[in-house]
This record gives sequence, C-alpha cells and structure tokens, in this order.
Amino acid sequence: MTARTRALDPAVGRALSALSATAKKGLGDPALAELVVIRASQLNHCAFCLDMHLAIAREHGVSEKQLDLLAAWEEAGDVFDERERAALALTEAVTVLTDGFVPDEVFEQAAKHFDEARLAHLIGLAVAINNWNRVMVSRRIPPGGHTP
Amino acid sequence: MTTHSDDTTDTTTVEYAPEEPARLDWAKHAPEVYKAMVRLEIAARQGLDHKLYELVKIRASQINHCAFCIDMHTKDTLAAGESVERILQLSAWDESRHFYTAKELAALELTEAVTVLTDGFVPDEVYENAAKHFEEAELAQLIAAITTINAWNRFGVTCRMTPGHYQPGQYK
Repeated sequence: MTARTRALDPAVGRALSALSATAKKGLGDPALAELVVIRASQLNHCAFCLDMHLAIAREHGVSEKQLDLLAAWEEAGDVFDERERAALALTEAVTVLTDGFVPDEVFEQAAKHFDEARLAHLIGLAVAINNWNRVMVSRRIPPGGHTP
Repeated sequence: MTTHSDDTTDTTTVEYAPEEPARLDWAKHAPEVYKAMVRLEIAARQGLDHKLYELVKIRASQINHCAFCIDMHTKDTLAAGESVERILQLSAWDESRHFYTAKELAALELTEAVTVLTDGFVPDEVYENAAKHFEEAELAQLIAAITTINAWNRFGVTCRMTPGHYQPGQYK
C-alpha cells in the first residue's frame, strides 16, 4: 500500500509534535499516555499510529495483557485500574464527538482521578492523537514509520 | 450573562436557560499545550483561501457540535463579508450545492470525511475529488486546517467552553 500523499507543511508537523509532547509531559504518566493514544487510534482506525504507539507502549513497559485487552477495556475486569478506566472513558468521549457530547459523568469521573492541570493535559493528549490520526488516515500513510 | 442583540426592538423579557460556566479552563492549566495549538492554527491556515477556510471551520464545528467554535467562526466569517445565506445553508450544503463553488464543495466533502473518522476511512472518491481541485501542497494545508478545527472542537466541547461572548477578530 502506498501513501496518497506524504505532503505535510513542516511548520504544521512541528506544531503537532509540540502539541503531543507538551500534553504527554504534563500528564506525567508515559504508560497511561500510550494507553490513551492507542485507544483513540483504534477508534479512528489509524494503522500508522497503532503500529508506532504499540511499539512505544512496549518500550514504556505497558503489559501485553493491557495491550491485548485495550479494545475491550470496559469488560476487562481489573486489568485496568479506576484511574486508567477514567482516562480511557474520557478519551473515547473526546474521540467520538460526532455521536454526542462529553457526558457529565465521564468528565466528573476523570476530574476525580486527575487534578485540573493533569486533566487539561490528558484532554490535550486525546486531542493531539486525534489530530495525528486524522493527518495520517487522510493521507493513508502506511504503518511502519516508527523505529524504536 | 449572554446578551442577545437580535431582540433590540422587542421590549418583552424572554427567559432563556441560565448560562453555564466552562467545565475547565484548559488553556490556563496547560499553557504550553495552548501555545502549541496556536502555532498549529497559524501554520495550518497558511496558503488557504480565507472564505473557504471559514466554511471548513464552521462545518466541522457543526458536525462536532462545538457551540463555542460555531459562535467564533460564524461571527468571524460574517465580519469578513461572507453572505448569511451561505452560512445558513452550510449544514445542508449537499442539498444546496449551487451556493458553493466546486472547489468549496470538494473541501466540504473532505471536511466531513476527515471529521467523522470513527465511522470509516476517508473514501477514495472524496480524496480524489479534493485532489482534483487542490494541488498537493494546498491539499496538505486543507487537511491540516480540517484536523486543526477538529482539535479546537474537542477542547471546546470537552471543556464546555461558553459560546456567546466572542467578538469578531478577538484572537487575531
């Protein structure tokens, strides 16, 4: 499979990288960040992003069990703790925006587990990966661009 | 308190639902993230026709239900001289194609496909039609502009930013 185009203005690419990097840093939990990023990429069907972030997640020591069950995290019992579940529920709501809004209970649950600064960065991270997903899927960038 | 400037001739008092405060002032709590968003916005709009860019912004904001973004971009594009008709017809553009150029229609179609990503991919015919009207670098900018308004929409909706107070050109 070949890309439709690889064109991306370098200034756009740099700003997107800064968006992801600042959000991830402010969240302060690299393993959780990868769970968030992979879940959004699953929902948005971004092959490039899944390939890249599954590799990064393994580098950060995210367990195979969590990666295997991430697509069904709600049914995965205690594989994900309450904080991870709150972050994943918020990620899904932020991602599937066209179906509705971000429900109060989802937002409030996240606000229980993350203080305002971490919550703002968690939202920023979900937004950033949604942006990357769109940039990659639109241009149909094939998976395999990440070397650990 | 939201002011409703459209009812200046009506002296009866209308009781609107109360205005809710935002859930989270995300830009205050994540200033570096906000700065990156502003950089992205500036980079993504380079080389795109301003009227087209605003139509894309409004349409994505409609699909993502971002009240704050709709408030901002309808006001900005009205202030820039866009017709009320073209703004009002935008939510049904596929049935009112004669209000828009072939290039704008290709951009709107791409906007919808890139925005509603969870339902599928970006269809070949949608991409190819856009590629007919936009050369490669301009198309890359269009995609960047679509993804950037999607990003603002996600902040706006998630943090429930309050619409109604925007003044045209406020952030320019």
